[in-house]
Amino acid sequence: MIDKRVFKFPGVKPAAAIMAVLTFVQAFMIIFQAKYLSVAIVNLWQLKSVRTIVLPLLLFAGAFLARHLLTLSNNWLLYPFVEKTTKTLRKQFMAKLFDLGPSVVAQKGTGNVVTMGLEGIDKIQTYLMLIIGKVLDLSLTPWIVLIYIAFIQWKEALFLLAIYPLIIFFMIILGLAAQAKADRQYAGYQRLSNHFVDTLRGLPTLKQLGLNKTYADNVYQVSEDYRKKTMSTLTIAMTSTFALDFFTTLSIAIIAVFLGFGLMNNTIQLLPALIILTLAPDYFAPIRNFANDYHATLNGKNTLTAVLDILQRPTPTDRDLLPVRQPTWQADDTLALNKVNVSYGESQTPTLKDITFSVHGFQKVGIIGASGSGKSTLINTLGGFLSPQDGQINVRDTAVPHLDKQAWQRSFVYIPQAPYLFHASLRDNLAFYAPGASEEAVMQAAAKAGLTDWIATLPDGLATQIGEGARGVSGGQAQRIALARAFLDDSRRVLLFDEPTAHLDIETEVELKRAMLPVFDHHLVFFATHRLHWMNEMDYILVMDHGKIVQQGTPAELEQQGGTYVRLRSEMEGATVK
Amino acid sequence: MKGFFATFKHDHWVMPYLRRYKKLLALVLFLGFMTFFCGGALMFNSGYLISRAATHPYNILMIYVPIVLARAFGIGRPAFRYAERLTSHNWVLRIVSDFRKRLYEAVEKQAVAIRQTHQTGDVLSILAEDIDHIENLYLRTVFPLVIGWLLYLFVVIGIGYFNWAFGLLMLLLLGVIVILMPLLSVTVNGRREFQARRVQRTFYTQLTDAVLGLGDWLISGRRQDFLAQQDAPIDQIAALRRKDHHFQWWRNFAIQVIFGAAVVLLVWWAGVMFTHNQAQANWVAAFGLALFPTVEPFADMSQGVSEWPVYQDSIRRVNALDENEPQQVDQTRVEAFENLTLDHVKFTYAGAQREVIDDLSLTLHPGEKLALLGPSGTGKSTLLKLILGDETPTSGQITINGEPVSRLQDQRATLFGVLDQQPYLFNTTVMNNVRLGNLNATDEEVMDAVKAVELDDLIARLPAGYQTQVQEAGSRFSGGERQRLSLARILLQDAPIIILDEPTVSLDPITEQHLLDTVFSVLHDKTIIWVTHHLAGINHVDQVRFIENGHFDMQGTPEKLYQENARFRSLYDLDRGR
Repeated sequence: MIDKRVFKFPGVKPAAAIMAVLTFVQAFMIIFQAKYLSVAIVNLWQLKSVRTIVLPLLLFAGAFLARHLLTLSNNWLLYPFVEKTTKTLRKQFMAKLFDLGPSVVAQKGTGNVVTMGLEGIDKIQTYLMLIIGKVLDLSLTPWIVLIYIAFIQWKEALFLLAIYPLIIFFMIILGLAAQAKADRQYAGYQRLSNHFVDTLRGLPTLKQLGLNKTYADNVYQVSEDYRKKTMSTLTIAMTSTFALDFFTTLSIAIIAVFLGFGLMNNTIQLLPALIILTLAPDYFAPIRNFANDYHATLNGKNTLTAVLDILQRPTPTDRDLLPVRQPTWQADDTLALNKVNVSYGESQTPTLKDITFSVHGFQKVGIIGASGSGKSTLINTLGGFLSPQDGQINVRDTAVPHLDKQAWQRSFVYIPQAPYLFHASLRDNLAFYAPGASEEAVMQAAAKAGLTDWIATLPDGLATQIGEGARGVSGGQAQRIALARAFLDDSRRVLLFDEPTAHLDIETEVELKRAMLPVFDHHLVFFATHRLHWMNEMDYILVMDHGKIVQQGTPAELEQQGGTYVRLRSEMEGATVK
Repeated sequence: MKGFFATFKHDHWVMPYLRRYKKLLALVLFLGFMTFFCGGALMFNSGYLISRAATHPYNILMIYVPIVLARAFGIGRPAFRYAERLTSHNWVLRIVSDFRKRLYEAVEKQAVAIRQTHQTGDVLSILAEDIDHIENLYLRTVFPLVIGWLLYLFVVIGIGYFNWAFGLLMLLLLGVIVILMPLLSVTVNGRREFQARRVQRTFYTQLTDAVLGLGDWLISGRRQDFLAQQDAPIDQIAALRRKDHHFQWWRNFAIQVIFGAAVVLLVWWAGVMFTHNQAQANWVAAFGLALFPTVEPFADMSQGVSEWPVYQDSIRRVNALDENEPQQVDQTRVEAFENLTLDHVKFTYAGAQREVIDDLSLTLHPGEKLALLGPSGTGKSTLLKLILGDETPTSGQITINGEPVSRLQDQRATLFGVLDQQPYLFNTTVMNNVRLGNLNATDEEVMDAVKAVELDDLIARLPAGYQTQVQEAGSRFSGGERQRLSLARILLQDAPIIILDEPTVSLDPITEQHLLDTVFSVLHDKTIIWVTHHLAGINHVDQVRFIENGHFDMQGTPEKLYQENARFRSLYDLDRGR
C-alpha cells in the first residue's frame, strides 16, 4: 500500500511520527464531535430546555474546530519535508543528467526527460503530500472509531468490522477486471486517442492527396469509436467505485435500521444509537478518500519509479585519470584504441566491434561508411558520450577505460549535423566553452568563422537572442557558430565533426568549407561524412562497415588497395554527366 | 470576474454545446443532484428513524416507511452516482467528437495560414490539448458547480419552508461557501496563475535547452554553471506551490468553520422550532445530521473553480480560431495537361519589403523534367507554393493550359503529386497508407505500386505484411523507405505533374542515388519539377535552373552547363568528391 521508498527520504520519519500523534488525537476529536452533537440532539429530543444544549454545542464546536485545525497542522507539518524532498529531487535529477550525459537523453527521448523533470516531479510532490497523510488516516482513524463503538455496542461494531474486508475485496476484484479490460484494449486505444493529432499533423499530406475535405467525417467517426470504447471500459472501471460507495452507504442504512430495532426492543438508548449513527460515515471516510485519490497516487508512484531509475544509474567513475595540461593535446601526442567494443544500453551485441587505430599529433582523420555503419557511434565514443565495454584506450600514454574524462572533454569541440544553439544571446552561444572571453576575442572568432556580415544584419548584433522560439538561424550559420567556438578557445585542439554538411546545399557547403579549412591547422581532426570531397583534405581515413573498421590508411593507399573504399566512392558518386 | 464574462462574450465553442445537448445535460445535473440528495436524505431519514424508534412505538409498522426509505436512499446514492458519472462522461465525449471534427475543419481551411504563422506542429498539439481542457471544464468545474448550487437552493428553500428568516440566514451563511469562496478562489488563483505560468515557461525552456544541449554542457565542463542555472526556477516553482497550498488549506479550513457554524445554528434552530411535543422532537436529529453529507460537494466547488484560469486560456484560443472560409476564386477545370507556364511572376510576402520571386518566366510541357537549385532562402519553396496555388503571385501569372492555378484548386490533387522532405505516414496500416493515393484502388493495385517502388520484399517480411501498423509518424520505416511508400502513394494518385521538394535531404548518398533512380524510372512519363540542394542525380533531368535572389542565373541541360559553365563544373566535381 505504501511505498517503502518514501521512507528513505531524509526527514520523513520525524514528520510521520508527529503526524501519527496528531492523527491519533484527531480520531478522538471526531468521537467527541459526534458525542456532543448527539448529546445536544438527545437533550432536545427529551424536550429539555434549549439552555441545556449550550454546553454540548460549544463542546461540539470546539471538537469540530480542533479536528480541522489538526488537518491544517498536519499539512503544515508535512509540507516542509515534501517541499525539501521535491526540490532536492529536482536538483539531483539535473546533476545526474549532467553526469550521465547525452546518451541517457538519446535513450529516453528529449520530451520524456523534460516531462520527467517538470511535471513528473510535480506528480511526486502530490504523491508525497497525499500518501503519508492518507495511509496514517486509514491505519488509525477507523480503528479508534470502531473501538469506541465496540465499547458502546459490540454487535454494530462487529458488523462494521465484518463489512470492511468485503469492501476491499470487491474493490480489488472489480478493479482488476477493469484493468484487464483496459489492458486488452490499450493498443487500439492509444491509436484512437492519438489519431486526432496524427490527422492534424498529416493535413498537408492529405491536402496533397486531395482528401482534406472528406477526412472530416473520418475524424468524427474515429472519435465516436473512441467514445464507445472508452465508455465500455469506464462502465467497468466505475463499478469499482460503485462497489465502495454501495457498501459504505448501504452499511450506514443497515446500521440505522439495526439501531431502530434495538431502540424498539429497548436494548439500546437513543444517545449511544445516535453517536453510532453519526460516527458511521467517519468510519468509512478514510477508505473512501484513499480510493478517490487512488489514480493520483498511482501516477505519482510510477513517476517516482521512473525518476529513481535515472537517479540510481551508475555514473562513469575515474573521470580525472588523464592529467590536466594546457593545451591538453599537443603535436607529439598519441591516441590509440585497441580492440574496443561499444554497445548501446543493455544491448548484448556491440554496435562497434574491434576498433583498433592510432592517431598522432594534428592528423586529419576522415571517417567514411554507409549509413548505419557506426560512424556516429565512433564519434560519440571519441567524445566520451559512450563508454566502451572492453578494449584498451591510450591517450598521451595514459591507459583509460573510457574517454569521459574532464581533461579530454575540455580539449575538443564537437560539431554535429545540427549544432545545438542555446536559447540565449549570440554572444553566449559563441562563447559557450569560454564564457569569460572578451568582446573583442568573440568578434575575432566570429570573423574567422565568416559570421561578421551576418552579425551586422542582426538588430542587436552579438546581443541578439537566438535558439528555439527566438530568431531562426540557418543550417550554415549554425555550423559557423559552432566553428567560432573552436576558434575562440585555443586550448581545444581536437575537432570532432559528425556529418556537419549533410543537409546543406552545395553552394553553402562550398562557402562553409572555405571557412572551415583554416581551423584544421594545428588541430587533431576527426571528420565523419558522406560527402566525398572532404576526403581530399584528410591525411588518414577509417572506412567503416557494420560497426567495424574494414580499411584504414592514407587516401592514396586506400585508392590503390581497392576494396570497400573504392566501392563506396563509386556508389556514392552515381552516374556521370558528360 | 470581468475576465469570466469577457471570455464567453463571443464564445461559440462552449455555450452552444450546452444548449445543443440540453436533455442529456439536464439528466446529468438531475442525477448529480439526486446523488447528494440521497446522501443527505439517508442521514435525515436515519435520524428520524432512530428518534422515532426511541419513543417505543407499539408496532413495528410505525417505523416501516423510514426503514424502507433508509434502504432506498442507501442504494439510491451509489446508483445515482454511478449513472451520473457514466452519463456525464458519455455527454462530454460526444461533444469531443463534435469538437474534433470542427477543429479539424477550422485547421483545414486555414492550413496554409497556420503553417505560415507557426512553423512547428506544436500549435496542433496545443489545440488538441485545448479540447481535452474543455472536456475537463465540463466534468470538473461546470457540473460540480451547477449541482452544488442546485443542492444549495434545495437546502435553503427546504429550511425556508419552515421558517423564512432562518432560511435567509442559511442562504447567507452557505452562500459564503458556494458563491464567495469559489469567487475568491478564481481571483486569487487567476493572479497567481499568471505568475506561475511565466515561471513554468522559463523552467520549461531552460530545461529543454539544457537537455538538448547536454553534449555541449558536458564538453564545456561547466557543471556549476549548469546546476546554478536551474536553481532559480526550481526555487521559484517551490515558492509558488507553497503559496498555492497555503491558500487551499486556509480556504478549506474556512469552509469547514462556516459549515460547523451552520450545523450549530441548525441544531439550535431545530431546538427552538421542534420542541413543542415529542412527535415534533423526532425531527431534531433529522435536521442535525442531514447537513453533513453536503460538505463534500460544497467544498469541491471551490477546488473545481480554481482550475478555471487553465480552461480560460483554452477557450480563448479555440474561439480565436478563424473558421471563415478563405476567399474563394471561381473554380474551373482543365482537360489533359498540355503546359505549365510562369509568366513574369513576381512575389512579395504580405508585409515584407523584399521580393522573394523577381520576374520568373518558364514553360513546361508533358514529360519534361526540371531541376531547381539555389542556396536556402532564395525562394525555391516559395516558387513551389506559387505553382501549387497556396500563394498567388503579386504580379504576373501561373497557368496550366492557359487557366490560372488559383482557379484549378478543386482539381489540384488530379494535377499535382508532391513528394516532400518529410512525407507523412499516418498511424494506420501500410495498406491504408498507400491507398490514400487513390481510395478506389484495389489491393492488387496497391501491391503493384509498392512493387514498383521496390518495397514488396520489405513489406513481405513485416510481421503482418500489408496489414502492419505504421508506428507513430512512420517510425517503423527508415527515411528512404518512407519516401518510397510515399512515392507508391503518388503512383496511385497518377497526377501528370510531380513536385519533388528536396526528397533526399536527410538521406545518405547511396540511399539517395537508389531512391532517385527509382523515382525517375517510375515517373518517366510525368512532368517533374525537382527542388534539390545538391547535384547528385542531376543526370536524370533535361533542364537545370539555379535561382539566386529570386531570379534564374544559370540554366540549361546538365551536359551543356558542365561543358560551358565553370561554376557549375566546379560545383559538380565537388559534389562528386573530386
